[in-house]
Amino acid sequence: MDNLRDLPNSDGFFGNYGGKFVPETLMFALKELEDTYDQLKSDPDFLKQIDQDLCHFVGRPSPLYFADRLTKHYDGPNIWLKREDLNHTGAHKINNTVGQILLAKAMGKKRIIAETGAGQHGVATATVAARLGLECHIYMGAADVQRQSLNVYRIKLLGAEVHAVDSGTATLKDALNEAMRDWVTNIDDTYYIIGSVTGPHPYPMIVRDFNSIVGRELRDQSIEHFNAFPEAIIACVGGGSNAMGIFYPFVSDPEVQLIGVEAAGSGIETGKHAAPLNDGHPGILHGAKSYLMQDENGQVIDTHSVSAGLDYPGVGPEHSNLKDSGRAIYLAVNDKEALDAFHMVTRLEGIMPALETAHAFAALDHLSGKFNKKDNIVINVSGRGDKDINTVATMDGISLD
Amino acid sequence: MIRLERKFASLKENSKKALVAYLVAGDPDISTTLELMHQFVLSGVDIIELGVPFTDPIAEGPIIQAAHDRALQANTSLDMIFSLVEEFRSKDSETPVILMGYINTFLANSKALESIHERGTDAVLIVDVPGESSLEDIGIQNKNIASISLISPTTDNDRIQKICMSSSGFIYYVTLRGVTGASNLNEDEIQKNILNIRNSTNLPVLAGFGIKTASDARALSQISDGVVIGSVLVEMIQELSEKKDYKKIYNYLNEISAAINP
Repeated sequence: MDNLRDLPNSDGFFGNYGGKFVPETLMFALKELEDTYDQLKSDPDFLKQIDQDLCHFVGRPSPLYFADRLTKHYDGPNIWLKREDLNHTGAHKINNTVGQILLAKAMGKKRIIAETGAGQHGVATATVAARLGLECHIYMGAADVQRQSLNVYRIKLLGAEVHAVDSGTATLKDALNEAMRDWVTNIDDTYYIIGSVTGPHPYPMIVRDFNSIVGRELRDQSIEHFNAFPEAIIACVGGGSNAMGIFYPFVSDPEVQLIGVEAAGSGIETGKHAAPLNDGHPGILHGAKSYLMQDENGQVIDTHSVSAGLDYPGVGPEHSNLKDSGRAIYLAVNDKEALDAFHMVTRLEGIMPALETAHAFAALDHLSGKFNKKDNIVINVSGRGDKDINTVATMDGISLD
Repeated sequence: MIRLERKFASLKENSKKALVAYLVAGDPDISTTLELMHQFVLSGVDIIELGVPFTDPIAEGPIIQAAHDRALQANTSLDMIFSLVEEFRSKDSETPVILMGYINTFLANSKALESIHERGTDAVLIVDVPGESSLEDIGIQNKNIASISLISPTTDNDRIQKICMSSSGFIYYVTLRGVTGASNLNEDEIQKNILNIRNSTNLPVLAGFGIKTASDARALSQISDGVVIGSVLVEMIQELSEKKDYKKIYNYLNEISAAINP
């Protein structure tokens, strides 16, 4: 198992997955990014700057909180919550953007672009760009612009320009396509902040490393609170950055079960879902080889999930390797289960999770009986649910107008 | 591959430049594509580049993206495209045909790719595979088809050499930073870079991306071995497909052909 921690290899592969499958124009920019990151990742000044930003700007460390009523409700293992929802801007996404914006600065880039699904990465990117006074463009599927209108307005307030993408399915994957096209066109002065552990090498590694602060904190906090590592860590997986960030520091600790939760949408059996690790095949999209929702001709299939942040046909290549190696397992929960979990956690704990995060909570129903009462399990609360109240109201048949 | 070599040898013998025309297979439908391919050849086209439609064509501008969508609407599969080329060959045994697309569709059909040269295809150009990889590296076992690679304004010398080593057919020089159909050509830079590429290879070097007018084509053909025209044709196909009268395209191609070989 030890070698899993040493990936990716120098070609950007995690086992069979990953790589750099991009148009030639981008190869130079990926090399430039790789070299910069290689140089800075052990530079004391750079690391100090990140630590300071994470502490004073983001508000880290995020607490490890005991969910007393949720634990009583399930009458099973002790349930702990890693509170990424308490970060500045409301999700784990800011951990990555504070790091990448420093790379952009070090590379002398003047213009920042990003894709976003639920809008959290768009907000987190617009936030760090505003802080450094950099021009910022956010690509967002037109369908997501509709269902995440609060975040769209937040991004605009932060001074960034939002580009609604109409092509394809008008969701996250199309936003990524369009951001890549922008990058090819403006390659000389533009830095692309990818928001998940997806895309061509070195992005899956960089985004994982910046998010790994979550798992590193959890190592200390779990010893402090219950004097052991957790029995299991549960996190939702779209592209998979919050999951990778909390999993990675535990990859070489086989006693810690790693459980990812994908979006089963209307149900895996209906085909209308966003669960490539459960019901996809290896393929290549957005620069990396990984599990992918595709038809027999290699065309990417439309996805479905109530959660804009999980509504993506691919997944980070490192997750594909963790799946094949058996180090992590991946469940899937459907829209209704996620919505029920959203309500349950809100009422029992006074914590309103993002719909993405609600998938991780919904997995608790699938895991009953798997743990002892003395066990401790941790759920990564990847983000808060304020952005989702319109969607939840609509699903519950309530009009807010 | 042999057809490509013969074509470039004959162009060279006659001191002529190559005109490559791109269209998306299956836009608006396969039978129209077949008709257009034959008519393109009659209008002065030397090599046909068939776009293989993909749901997520990240190197394409909006015009060609929309054509990919239309072809997918018409349920165009890679297998149908292999058959299309086979049918084209029943009347045209000489014009080289290149398939240009994205790796995921090719991988999904890797078995069928083993026999495509017997079915008339001469080369593949896979946009999202790094040019230094061979077809074998990515799981395509076929020594009889050429592997055409892109070199862009941002490719450094080290990569240029590696790409030239693993390429065959010709080198496709991307004339701009951007997607297909953009318009920011910089002639001086293009000339300098093409001369530089020629230090690493004896393969023909063609220029493409963003060539629209006869004067663009003429200027670029003077500093390369030929030009690739794509978005303009695809846009006209879309515009004319309702009336199914494509004469305007044939006239345009004749004009381009005359401009590059006056």
